[in-house]
Formats: sequence, C-alpha cells, structure tokens
Amino acid sequence: MADKNESFETKDFGWMVAMSILFLVLVAVCFWLEFSTEWGGYQLEFPQLLGHYGKVEDARDFQAGIKQIWIPKIGVTDRCITCHLGYEWSSVLPATIAEPLKPHPMNDMIAKHEFAKFGCTPCHGGDGAATTIAGAHQGGTGWEDPMLSNALAAQNGLTMNEMIQMRCNFCHRHDVATPGMDEINLAKVLFKKKKCLLCHVVEARGGTTGPELTYEGDRNPELLIFTHVQGEHTMFNWNVQHLTKASAVSPSTAMPDFNFKPEESRALTLMLMSWRRLSYPPEYIPDPEVAAAAMQPSPTSTPTPTPSATPVAR
Amino acid sequence: MGDKIKALWRKTSWAWSPESERESSEAIVKNFWLHWFPAKVARASMDWNYSFWLGTASASLLLILTITGVMLMFFYVPSTERAYGSIKDLQYAVSFGRLLRNQHRWAAEGMVAVVYIHMARVFFTGAYRGPRAVNWVVGVVLFLATLFLSFTGYLLPWDQLAFWAITVGTSIAKQAPFVGPTIQFILLGGHEIGQQTLLRFYVLHVFFLPVLAWVLFAYHMWRVRKDGGLAAVERVRNERVMAPKATPKTKSYSLFGLTPGTSVQVMSSTGLEESDQVFSSPNMSRRIALVFLVVFNITLLAAILFNAPLEGLANPSVTPNPAKAPWYFVWLQELVASTTVRFGGYTVSGALLGGILLPGFLLAVLTLWPWLDRSPLRAGGRWLAPERKRQNLTFAIATLAIIVLIMVGVYLRGPYWRIYWPGQPRPETPRLY
Amino acid sequence: MDGERRKILRFIGKGSVLAAFLAQIGAAGRAFFPNVLYEPPSRFKLKRPDDYPDGYTLDEAHRLYVIRQKEAFHVISAICTHLGCNVQWRDTEFDCPCHGSRFRPDGTVISGPAPRPLDWFATTVSPDGFLEVDSGKDVARDFRLVIGGKGQA
Repeated sequence: MADKNESFETKDFGWMVAMSILFLVLVAVCFWLEFSTEWGGYQLEFPQLLGHYGKVEDARDFQAGIKQIWIPKIGVTDRCITCHLGYEWSSVLPATIAEPLKPHPMNDMIAKHEFAKFGCTPCHGGDGAATTIAGAHQGGTGWEDPMLSNALAAQNGLTMNEMIQMRCNFCHRHDVATPGMDEINLAKVLFKKKKCLLCHVVEARGGTTGPELTYEGDRNPELLIFTHVQGEHTMFNWNVQHLTKASAVSPSTAMPDFNFKPEESRALTLMLMSWRRLSYPPEYIPDPEVAAAAMQPSPTSTPTPTPSATPVAR
Repeated sequence: MGDKIKALWRKTSWAWSPESERESSEAIVKNFWLHWFPAKVARASMDWNYSFWLGTASASLLLILTITGVMLMFFYVPSTERAYGSIKDLQYAVSFGRLLRNQHRWAAEGMVAVVYIHMARVFFTGAYRGPRAVNWVVGVVLFLATLFLSFTGYLLPWDQLAFWAITVGTSIAKQAPFVGPTIQFILLGGHEIGQQTLLRFYVLHVFFLPVLAWVLFAYHMWRVRKDGGLAAVERVRNERVMAPKATPKTKSYSLFGLTPGTSVQVMSSTGLEESDQVFSSPNMSRRIALVFLVVFNITLLAAILFNAPLEGLANPSVTPNPAKAPWYFVWLQELVASTTVRFGGYTVSGALLGGILLPGFLLAVLTLWPWLDRSPLRAGGRWLAPERKRQNLTFAIATLAIIVLIMVGVYLRGPYWRIYWPGQPRPETPRLY
Repeated sequence: MDGERRKILRFIGKGSVLAAFLAQIGAAGRAFFPNVLYEPPSRFKLKRPDDYPDGYTLDEAHRLYVIRQKEAFHVISAICTHLGCNVQWRDTEFDCPCHGSRFRPDGTVISGPAPRPLDWFATTVSPDGFLEVDSGKDVARDFRLVIGGKGQA
C-alpha cells in the first residue's frame, strides 16, 4: 500500500482500538447490570431460611427468577413475591423475620382473601409489575397509586390497618357493615345519619345541590382548590378539612360545617376515596347480607379453622 | 488445517482489508456491500473537520434504531389495553429489556438532533448548490421522516406523556386550512385518540416510515455518487488553477536523426490528482466502522445511565399540567401558544398562525433554498465562506431562535404554561394522599 | 508505534469487537427466553382439601381431575395422551371425545389410540393450606396424599 493510505490507518488506529475496548467494556457493564438485580440477594437468602426452619425439600426445589401472580380477570400482574418470598409461609416462618422475607400475617379474614385469587396490589397498592423497590412501592413519575405503608398512613394520621380499609371498600362498598373494617363501618353509619344524599348524588340517588360523589375516589386532585387547606396538598387532607369545616376550605360553599371529630372526618374521607370506577367479576363482590350477618355475634357459630400447622402427607 | 481456515477467512474477508491497490479497486467491484462506494474517495471528503461524519452518524443511528426496534417488536403489543403493560414488562421482566428500550429511546432523540446538525453542516458548507440541490430536497424529506418517526414512536408507550403529547400535536395538524380536519381524521382514525390511532401510528412507525427512510437513504447515497462526491471535492477542484506544467524533455525525429527538444504544451488538470485521493476500501470503510462504533457506544452509555421516561397509564380524563409536546416539537407549541391574534371581532388561532403557517413557510423556504440562494457557486464545499455570510447568518439565526424556543418550552414552562425562572418555586402537584 | 505493539493492539481491538458482538448476540438470545409466563404456571394451587367432595371432581381451568377418597387425595390429568383433548369421567371410566380412547379409573388404557396411561400429577398441600399440583412432576399410580384432621393437622 502507498504511504498515503498508511496515514489514514495510522490516524484511525488509536481510536479504533479505544472504541473497540470501550464497546466491550460497556457490553460487560450491561451484563453486570442485568445480573445485579435488587431481588437476587433475597433469593439466595430464602432457601437458606427455609432450610433453617426444617423445610429442606422446599429449599432444594426453590427456583430463582422473577415470580409473579397473574390474574387476568382483575388485571393483576404482581411480581411482589419475587422479593416477598415468605408470603405463603406463615405456618412455618415466624413474624419476627425481617422484610422482605417475612410471612404475610394470617387470620380468618386474610385466609378468605387467597393470594391466588387476589394477588397483592388490589389490597396494598403499588406497581405490581415492577421488580425494583422504588418502582414497586412508590411507582415511577406520575404513578398515582403508591403502596400503602406505615409511613404513608402515619402521614395521614392513620395506622396501616385503618388506611387499608379504603381498598377493602373497593369490593365491600355495598356491605352495610363488614367485620374488620371499623373505620369504614363508622363512615357508612355517619353517611346515613348525616343524610349526605340530601345534597349529593351517589349511585343514581340523591340531591343535586352538591357535586356527584359516586366516583369521588377517581377525582383529579389537581381540580381541587387548596388555597385554604392546611398542610400538604393532598386530596386526603382536602377532604378531611372540608368535611370538618366546609366553609374554611370553600368559603362560598352551601355545605354545612359538620364539625366532625378528627377520626370521623378521616373515616369518611377513607370511604369517599374508596369510591372508584372498578369492575371486578361478580365472584369478587361479597354478598352484603353475608357480611352483615357476620357482624352479628352468634352463640352457635363455630370459628373457621385457621391454617396453622404443617401439612402431614407428602 | 489452520492454513485452510486462514485461507477460507481470507477468501471471505479480503475485500474489507485489501492488501494491495489492486485488491482495493477490485473490492469495490466484487463485493456486494462495498459496490455503492467509489473506488477512490477524496482526502478532503475524509476530513473529520469538514463533515464531522454527521451523515454517517445519522445512518448509524438509523441502523441502531432499526435493529433495536425489531427486537422491541417481539415484546411490544400495540393494543390500548396491553401497550403500557408490555412496556412495563420490557422494563422489569425481560432480560436486557430495560437497556434495549433505553437505547432505542436515546438513539431516537439523538437522531433528531444529529440529522438537524447534519443539515446545518450541509448548509454552512454551501454543499447544496448546483446539482446537489436534488439531494438537499431528499435530505429535507429524510429530516421530516425522522421527525415523524419520532412522533409516531412517542405514542406507543400509551402513557400520559405519550397520549397528551400526541393530542397537542394532532390538534395543531387540524388547524391546517381546508385539509386540516381531514388530516387529523385520517391520522387518528377517528375524532379521538384511541385504539385505531395507536394501530395506525404503530404501523407507520414500524413499517412505512422505516421503509421510506431506508429507501430515501439509498437514494441519498446514490445522489452523492452522481453528484461526484461531497461538495468538498468542488473546493479541491476550484483550488486547482490551470497552469502550464513543466514540459517534459523529449526527442523528436528530424531529417538528420534525433533532435532534442520539447513536446506539446500541457496544462495541469483541474480534476483530482492521485495525491488528492485514497482508496475507499479500507480507508472509508474503516472510518465508517469507527463512526458506527462511537455512536453505538454513546447510545449504549446513555442507555446504561438514563432510563427512558414512563409516566402513568394514559388517562383521557386527566390532562397533565402542563402537557408538553416532545422537545423537538415544543418550539412549535411555543409558537402556537403565543401567536393567537385578536383584532376587532376576529381571532386568528395561534394553532393556525404559529402551528401551520409559520412552520409551513419555514419548511417551504428550507426546501426551496438551493434555488433561492444567490451566492456564487465557488463558495461551496467549505465552511463559512465569506461570500455566503448572508445565507449562513439567516440559517444560524433561525436555528438559534428554534433552540431558544425549545429551551423555554422544556425548562421554563410550568403549570398552566406560565414561565418559572430557575430557582423560582413551582406549585407542587397535588397528590391523592 | 512499532510493528509488534501495533499487532497486539490490533488483535485486542478486533478481539474486543468480536467478543462484544458475540455477547450482544447472547444477550439478544437471552432476552427471547421469557422470565415470566402469562399462562397457568406448571405448579399451581387448587382449592382447600375440604372444598372437594368424595369422588372425581373436574377442574376445567387446570384440565385435571381431583379424586378424593375420604382423606386420601390424588390428581389425574384430564389431557388425553393421544392428541391432547380433555377426557370425560363417566362414573366408571374416562372417555375421550376426540378419537374414542377409554381409560380405567386409575388412568390406564382400556382401548383406543392412546399410547400411554393418563398422567398422575405430584400433589402436596401448600404452606397456607391449599392443594398444590405440580403438573411437571409425575407420580406413580399408588400415590395418595393423606390429610389428617379437619382441614390440615
């Protein structure tokens, strides 16, 4: 080759080598990222934990990888169990185990809401499709439905068990009263007592003085006016303060100042925010009368068996 | 055995690493991939500082987008019920899915910028003059295809960002006089953005526009060959002044035997000399490979460092505040938002003025520019020729204005499209709880 | 730069590109192996043992029969071993509607084109008290899952 061609080869040689090595380095980084998942460590820990509690065969059969509960009927694709591996092991693992491996608490009520039928997010919120902690718990930008946590509940002056009732009411909306949903039950009682339907339409019944509340839980928080609202600009705060003293939040309102106690306002707000456009198949909607009957203490009823001990046969 | 393998390897790859000038020439004629290259290419065309190889970078990005795009097609579902979930799956449940999607997104945004900068380079070097005017027009169409590819792709994730950006974009299209509503009707497949819109945008994005881009790209390359290479070649030709060459001593036959003397007067050629050129294979093919590697590395690095945005599921009832077009269209949105004119009882909508008429005018001027340009032909093929001061200044000012509008739209506009200066607190978006 | 160093660097450069390219092909190949399946998993939960009556109960969604004899459970696949249709339990035998294969109550073939007996699936009780079937694991025809006490004990 003539000298002139050499010069191009010389000019480009250094860059070609450098870019080639950089290419390999970047691809190696991609592989490293792919294998350093947030859930990988927990999946190494879990079989050891199972073995420690005597479940040697299950520990041996454990397969690593993304795990999901898929329920197309209700649009659930929950990968929470990729980290929360102990969820179905309350009969073996103690509740003192740290998150995320700790077993899901178990009692009669929870036993009725089987994991295979409900998944996780209908009750807990969050983005079930995600496999990172931030992605699943808070969700990405603009994700409206963060996971209900102790911290989030505390921010709103509630406990987790109180706040989660908002989501229970997605299906139990038409129960007159439901065992285990004290706050919502209180809200339903107040709703009747204070005759909200005089001014508001809810499910095609009521007056038109005030806005329709049938799907109040779907309302866009940005449409609310927060000028006179104390604290954070959340729909929860707005409703609590509006229910307590409507004229303080909306000076020109026709709604009377009910002066509810704080727990009453919070209960009513939980109920209002539970009213969303959701379509669950009929087998998910509880029979209102069954729930009401369960509220009555009956001397002849036998408690439903609690799955507690390990199964016998193998 | 080792020799046989080496011989086989040599047989298949000789064209890419020719070992003689003859092999270099033959490579162009005998190899399918190389047949579109000239046997030799001017050194001036190879110069980094002339073209910055932006055209090659644009083509590299198109190739990266095509490959990553085809891979994404195995996972993405163009249904309003499933699109969002399929993107989430890519992000969280498909091996390397996050990186694949990211690389596609950043290559796409990069391509809009690189194609524009390539166009600016062609303009500032006056490389659209003369016969190259046709290729300029082809380039403008390629630029529009790039923009439209980006626009159709933007809708596919079916999140709030996508849905409302396309709402803004198609509403601007509706304002075109006479044909506007019909164009919007065909684009959307109806009056609202829905399943039919998603499907149309999907087919446009994965089939029609890529085919158009590749076919036009091939024609774009063909025109470069027909036009005699890059415009830098014209500069080299212009610099070759016709001057008498030193006359070679020669012998001539006279009546009495050999007589020493000189032969005919020869002028130096105004064509390219051998010293001006190098063999395309391997020099140009090597640089193309290098540019591709650099571009690939940059997009991969961006994919590793930054996630492609994904907001909440598209909700036709809730408009995000503010709702912005993608950055390469946000300058249009700025124009639309600020050019509504009211006089007397009449209102001229900003969507018509700033969204259709002004950009339409700019596009027409851009396309017809080679025929509007009055600078001397000799000024082409080099950077910022003084004879082209007026033309270059016009383009620079227009580009600067567009960049300023983009910056304002992206960084300074907050809720209700009000201006918020850096440091000025913005109202927090209310949440549920 | 002298020839020897050049040669090594050139080798490193080409080697890097080749390795990275092959790794990319590998990554692309890996991406095509789904990590999550949108289909019923091969291992799944049914109802609680107490929800099943004695005898043969068809589970259409999972294409199997749950057979209970007092406290002993076993699960037989309803998928005909001939060409995959669902067999029907007819009180004394399984009949396949597609090509007429007949099977005994334990799944062995009486007559017809079916080449093998019906599969028996490994069945256990899940930690939270549901019957759990592993359709990827076969067991012998003497398998019984015996459950002691009410529910489980």
